[in-house]
Amino acid sequence: MNSLIGLWESVREFIATGGDVLYFVAAALFLMWVLMIERYWYITAVFPKVKKDIITRWDARSDTTSWYAHRIREAWISEASDNLDARMLIIRTLVAMCPLIGLLGTVTGMISVFETMATQGTSNARLMASGISMATIPTMAGMVAALSGLFISSRLEAKAKLAREGLVDSLPHH
Amino acid sequence: MKLVFKSLVAAATMAVISTGAQAQEAASLQDLLEQVKQNRVSEARINEEREAEFRSERADKQALLQKAQSELQAEQDRGDRLQQQFSDNETTLNEKSSELEQATGTLGEMFGVVRQAASEAYGRVSTSIVSAQYPDRDDFLAEMSEESKGLPNIQELEDLWFALQTEMTQGGQVDRFTTEVVNLDGGSSEQEVVRVGTFNLVGADGYLSYDAENDVVQPLGRQPEGFLVSSAEEMAEATSGTVAFYADPSQGAILGLLKEKATWSERYHAGGAVGYTITVMLIIGLLIGIYKLVTLGITGSKIKSQLKNPGNPSSGNPLGRILKVYQENKHSDAENLELKLDEAILRELPSIESGINVIKIFAAIAPLLGLLGTVLGMIATFQTITLFGTGDPRLMAGSISMALVTTAQGIIAALPLILTHSIVASRSKSIIHILDEQTAGIIAAHTEAEKA
Repeated sequence: MNSLIGLWESVREFIATGGDVLYFVAAALFLMWVLMIERYWYITAVFPKVKKDIITRWDARSDTTSWYAHRIREAWISEASDNLDARMLIIRTLVAMCPLIGLLGTVTGMISVFETMATQGTSNARLMASGISMATIPTMAGMVAALSGLFISSRLEAKAKLAREGLVDSLPHH
Repeated sequence: MKLVFKSLVAAATMAVISTGAQAQEAASLQDLLEQVKQNRVSEARINEEREAEFRSERADKQALLQKAQSELQAEQDRGDRLQQQFSDNETTLNEKSSELEQATGTLGEMFGVVRQAASEAYGRVSTSIVSAQYPDRDDFLAEMSEESKGLPNIQELEDLWFALQTEMTQGGQVDRFTTEVVNLDGGSSEQEVVRVGTFNLVGADGYLSYDAENDVVQPLGRQPEGFLVSSAEEMAEATSGTVAFYADPSQGAILGLLKEKATWSERYHAGGAVGYTITVMLIIGLLIGIYKLVTLGITGSKIKSQLKNPGNPSSGNPLGRILKVYQENKHSDAENLELKLDEAILRELPSIESGINVIKIFAAIAPLLGLLGTVLGMIATFQTITLFGTGDPRLMAGSISMALVTTAQGIIAALPLILTHSIVASRSKSIIHILDEQTAGIIAAHTEAEKA
C-alpha cells in the first residue's frame, strides 16, 4: 500500500513538473494501448475461429472454380481482412501523434520560459528552470509513448498480414 | 556799432543772471556799472557768510567723528563680551550634555533601539493591509523614527508598544469591516471587506489590493484563476466556521505576479493573423470531419441493411445502386457484367471520398502555418534587437513568446485534425472495401442462393 502511494506521489510529481500536456500524452498512450490490446486479442483469440468458420464454409462448397466462386472467395477474404485491419489506422495515427503532443509540450514550456523572462528578466535561472522542465519532460514522454507503440503496432500489422495470408492460403480451389 | 552794443548788453545781462543777483532793469550803462559794483559788495559778504558757516560745520563734523569712533569702540567691546559668553555657553553646553549622557547611561542605547524599532514598525505598518482598517497609525511612527534628537517620552513609548501589539494581534485575525473601495474605472463605493490576517483583503468580487502610498483599497488589476477567486468569494461570504482559502503569504506580491501573467485569450490573440487563419482551418476541418462522419455513418448503416436484403436493391444507397446495375444486366456475360459493376462502383467512390483529403491537407498545413508565425515572430524579435540592442531580455522575450504561440496553435490545430482524418478515412475505407471488393461476392452469393 505504502509503495503504491509512493508510486502515485512520484507520478503526480512527474506530471506537476511536466505540465498539463502530459495528460494528453497519457490519454493518447492509454487509447493507443487499449486499441492495441484489443487488436492483439482479436488476432490471437477471435480471428482463428473466424478463419476456421470461413474455411469450413469454403470446403463445404462444391463449386470453387467458377466466376461466382472466385468473387465469393474474394468477398470473404476482403471482409476478414477488413476486420483484421479495423482500427489499425487509428493506432498508427496515435503513434504518430505522440511525438507531436510532446512537441506541443516543448512549445508551451518555452512560452512559459519566455513569459518568465518577460516579467522577471533573466536574473533568476530557477524561475526559468520550471518552464524548461515543462518543455523537456513532455517531449521525452511523447517519444517514449511513441516508441512503445511503434514496436507493438508494427508487430500487430505483421501479425494481421500473416493471418490474412494464412487465410488466403487455406482457401484452395479444389 | 549798434550790434556790438546790443551784444554787450546781452552779455552783461547774462552775467547778472548767472551770479544769481536780482535782475534789475538797467536804465543806462551808468546804472549797470553801479549795479555791478553793488553786487560785488554783496557777493563778498555772502562768501564770508558761507565761509563762516563752513567753519562752524567743520567743528560739528569733528564732534560727529569722535562720537562714531566711540560707538565703534563700544560695539567692539560688546562683540568681545558676547564671544566670551558664547564660548562660556559652549563649555556649559558640553558639560551639560556630558552630564546628560552620564545621567542617561545605558538608557541612551535603549532610545536608539526604540528609534530603530519605530522605523521598522513604520515600514511594516504603513504597507500593512491592517492600515486599511485602522488608518492614520503610521504618522507618529514616522515622526518617531525620523526625530534624530530628543528623547521619546512615556506616551510615545506606549504608543509604539500599542502599534506593534495591534499589528501582531490583527495579524492573527480574520476581520470584516466596511471601507471605501476605489474601482478600476475611477469611481469608488463603500464595500464590506474581509481582511485575512496581514495577508489578503477579500471583497465580494475577489481579491483586493491595498495601495499604501495613497491609502486606498482597490480591486486587483486582474483576478487570478477562477478557482482561486471562488475560494476568495466563499471567504467573503462566510460568516463562521472553517473556510478553505487560497491566501497569498507574500502579502500581495504573488498576486501581483499573477496579474502580469497573460491570460489564455491574450495568448490566443498574440498569434495574430496567422493564429486566426489556423483557427479557421481547424474549425472548417472539424466541420468537414463531423459532416463526413455523419454522412458516412448514414451510408454505412444503409449499406448494412442493404447487405441483409440483396435481392431488393434501393437507389438510396451506393450498394443498392450497384446491385441495381447488376439487376439490369443480369443476363449479360460475366466479363461485361464485371465492367458494368466496376463502372458503377467508380461512380460511387468520389462522393464517399470527397472532403477527406481536405482534412488531411488542413492537418498538414496547420503546423506549417504555425512555423510561418514563428518565423514572423523571430523577424519581429530581430527588429527589436536592431532597434534596442540585446540589453533588455524582456523586450525580446515578448515577441519570442508570441512566435512560439503560433507554433503551439499550429500543433493544437493539427492534432484533432489528424485524429479526425484517420477516423473518417478508416470509415470510408471500410465502406469502399465493401463496394469495391465485396459487391461482386454479394451478387454471386445472391445469384447462387436464387439458383439453388
